[in-house]
Amino acid sequence: MPRVPFATTDMLSLIVFLPLAGAILALLAGGRGDRPEREPLVRNIALATSLLTFAATLVLWWRFDPASADYQFMETHAWMPMFGIQYLIGVDGISLFLLVLTGFLTPLALLSSWESVHKSVKLFSFFVLALETAMLGVFVSIDLFLFYIFWDAMLIPMYFLIGIWGYERRIYAAVKFILYTMAGSVLMLIAIIGLAWAHAEASGTGTPSFNLLDLYGLALSDQMESWFFLAFAVAFAIKVPLFPFHTWLPDAHVEAPTAGSVILAGVLLKMGTYGLLRFAFPLFPGAALAMAPIIALLAVIGIIYGALVAMVQPDLKKLVAYSSVSHLGFVVLGLCAMNLQGVQGSLYQMLNHGVSTGGLFMIVGMLSDRRHTRLISEFGGLKAVAPRLVAAFLVVTLSSIALPGLNGFVGEFLILVGAFRWSPTLTALAATGVILSAVYMLWMFQRVNYGPITNEKNRTMPDLTPREWALVVPTIAMAILMGVVPGMFLRPMEPSVSRLIERVTANQPVRVRLDDRRTVNPEPRIATRDPRPATREPRP
Amino acid sequence: MSDFTAIIPIVIIVLSGCAALIAEAFRQRGERMPIAGFGLIGLAGAALASVFLWGSDAQSFGVVRSDNFALFINLVLCVVGVLTMLFSDEIVEREQLPPGEYYALTLFAISGMMLMAAATDLLVIFLALEVLSLSVYVLTGIRRSSAAGAEAAFKYFLLGAFSSAFFLYGVAFAFALSGSTRLDELGAVLSSQGAGPPSTMALLAVGLLVVGFAFKISAVPFHMWTPDAYEGAPTIVTAFMSTGVKAAAFAAFVRVFLSPLEPLQDQWIPVLVVIAAATMILGTVVGVVQSNIKRMLAYSSIAHAGYLLLGLIATTSTGKAAVLFYLLAYAVSNLGALGIVALLGTAQHEHDELRDFAGLSKSRPGLAALMTVFLLSLGGFPPMAGFIGKWYIFSAAVERGHYWLAIIGVLTSVVSVFFYLRIVVMMYMTDGSDVVRPRVPLPAAAGLALASGAVIYLGILPTKIIDLALDSISTIF
Repeated sequence: MPRVPFATTDMLSLIVFLPLAGAILALLAGGRGDRPEREPLVRNIALATSLLTFAATLVLWWRFDPASADYQFMETHAWMPMFGIQYLIGVDGISLFLLVLTGFLTPLALLSSWESVHKSVKLFSFFVLALETAMLGVFVSIDLFLFYIFWDAMLIPMYFLIGIWGYERRIYAAVKFILYTMAGSVLMLIAIIGLAWAHAEASGTGTPSFNLLDLYGLALSDQMESWFFLAFAVAFAIKVPLFPFHTWLPDAHVEAPTAGSVILAGVLLKMGTYGLLRFAFPLFPGAALAMAPIIALLAVIGIIYGALVAMVQPDLKKLVAYSSVSHLGFVVLGLCAMNLQGVQGSLYQMLNHGVSTGGLFMIVGMLSDRRHTRLISEFGGLKAVAPRLVAAFLVVTLSSIALPGLNGFVGEFLILVGAFRWSPTLTALAATGVILSAVYMLWMFQRVNYGPITNEKNRTMPDLTPREWALVVPTIAMAILMGVVPGMFLRPMEPSVSRLIERVTANQPVRVRLDDRRTVNPEPRIATRDPRPATREPRP
Repeated sequence: MSDFTAIIPIVIIVLSGCAALIAEAFRQRGERMPIAGFGLIGLAGAALASVFLWGSDAQSFGVVRSDNFALFINLVLCVVGVLTMLFSDEIVEREQLPPGEYYALTLFAISGMMLMAAATDLLVIFLALEVLSLSVYVLTGIRRSSAAGAEAAFKYFLLGAFSSAFFLYGVAFAFALSGSTRLDELGAVLSSQGAGPPSTMALLAVGLLVVGFAFKISAVPFHMWTPDAYEGAPTIVTAFMSTGVKAAAFAAFVRVFLSPLEPLQDQWIPVLVVIAAATMILGTVVGVVQSNIKRMLAYSSIAHAGYLLLGLIATTSTGKAAVLFYLLAYAVSNLGALGIVALLGTAQHEHDELRDFAGLSKSRPGLAALMTVFLLSLGGFPPMAGFIGKWYIFSAAVERGHYWLAIIGVLTSVVSVFFYLRIVVMMYMTDGSDVVRPRVPLPAAAGLALASGAVIYLGILPTKIIDLALDSISTIF
């Protein structure tokens, strides 16, 4: 199979801006004023655009050269040359699957709100698709200025999605979401500007540069490096969200419409961990490695805290929201370990979380569409009335608690392996989160689906509709695919991840294990491309 | 004759103002005359003249200099003027304002603004300041039947006269120091004094001039008049003065402080740092609790003055260019937002309370969308002009190591997003009040299209304008 990077074409730009074009088309197709008869047309345009985008991301994966650690499909256009700002985009093994994930989840998100959203459908479609463009833009930007533009622009559609189509406390949640995220990201903006000027000084040209590739390896004073790292790290920590910056998340998740929750959990949260991995760690390796134990500790607190709080939630959506805090803690822990297993596991877990938590939100959305409530106590015994829905629910739940054979297991396992090599203590603590997640998830599942039917209203609950089949089948298929053949995903990631780890750990004193500073534990280079056998064989 | 070259744009504006007055004399009572057309022609002529003068560095009588810096401000003012004219056509009719006087005063104010940006003599700056101030005082109170308007105009006038006195006093000290009111001679004297602590006379001159300018740009603690004047004036006048006066005053501020007074920067920078920080903080924090949109935007305009001060404090070419770019970005965003507020008013009621905007996205989806664009731009969201403006300003501050000011700047802009979004919440997320929404006439629609187009163009492709701004500061200083 010839794999040629099409560096000369504008393929990547096309993918990024295709949803925006579809968004504008949907808006125009909606016509002036409220035109209910145009609704199907608008929905179909939106869905077709998002499916086309997904197909395009798959083509990107197809053409991607998995052996290369470099950026591929790069495009450069001068934008503001006087400040060294370029329209510079590209894909490497780290961003590739996040693009695919974005492409995968957007049509599902649109479908999931197919019947519950009737208020100005054209605006809804517009915002979802505009959001997709911004998300794709974040993952492909190599220029920090461009990255920041997409990063900030992303907030607006999400704000409207929560604020217009959300539940009762939607306005509060929308405003909290946007202010929290902005408060973090504006400090990052200052750090980005500072970094660019530092480059101007260091290079002697007097022209700043926002090109990530120029800025990697820029020598900064220790103090400056720490401050800049902190600014970046806080911005991303809020987005992740890392304990104690997580308080916006339950509100936003709970109040958002199903489509919003799916995208929020599925893609937006990954922006934080992606940012840590792509920007914060490699730009400021010294400060990052020095602070990694603290960040990891917060991550572990988040894992346990999120799990414990999830356990006592009466509201399904809130439970899933807190489970995200817990799961994202694993991702951050893996990043902090900064070894191949840890980082690959993190990256893999980002994708897993997108699929399984996205799936959970879709299922919760189906339940709440049927019953207009999300309280666990309102359900019970659904297995008898809607067996197919419950079966799908079961698979998604199991994938979320990382049952071997499903996607979650691979990521969590890799993270724990990587983290163990770095800090057995933290890993041991984090591992309790694995158990806790089984507890709160299965307990929730049991209360909702098993036992006698306690609420008469549940007796008439319909089973999956064809539209819902279209939501559930791809999600489950993806969960199984990622659980059974992880190599397919891990292999293209590896070169980029290895280079990134080298970049972070190069020039630093050899990393010792956190718990035992006497033993020097150099990074073993993994020779074979195959993922560890343990991750490969689903246990019976 | 060549002495007049530099003032051609100004003369064109004055002539069009006179034409408006004459037309008014021939107007029958109740007749609707397209007097705004004179203004538009004059503004177009002035813009054209500015384009032709670009790069010529023409000087008149040794006191007016149409360098690129002044011409850039001319262009900003022409944009302000054109948008004001386009919005005014309907509003003047609706509010029964005397059209001849209204347009003539607006145009005279613009001529004063242009003169202020181009003047190279402290006395001429003062003259220009008075021309624009007097016109604007009258415009503020032009609704003769409105008590709030009269109060606002009177307050503005009294405090304005007070600040003019400060400014003039500063000019007097500067004259005593150098024996001239011309900027270049003042600069020569100050830089020849060399190292060592500056004289008391110099400090007094600088201090008094700071007060005079700070009042005009409504910086804290000289901002007290702003909310009252902005709220009491007809909305369209608020839109005009919040953008035009600010542009002119900042132009003169930059010209005076970054050229002749630059040797004293160790003295005035600390003062301006405090003023800038206080202005940004007070403007946003007090803006949060406002329920009247005009008042809210008045406080926001105070905050924006604080951001602009950062560019001045930076003193670098990045800073100066950033001020120019920001003035343009702010002008189109703020005029657009206030223009919509003005257009939504009716003869009976201004509809400028926050709750009047409830449900606008249902009754007027187009206006609501445009309002959102302008507000997001004011809040500094990409891909709008306001984002590039703020980025540019903060970039200048960071370049000079003013990290703390930049941090205050970004944090206050987050706070400001909160109150800009309150309007968006009203428009999109709250169910409507049954307010009568007037139709938007064609000229105003064209104005809104122009403003929103500019906001998005400047936000996505700012390079041309930034180049222009960099070009215009390179010719002086």
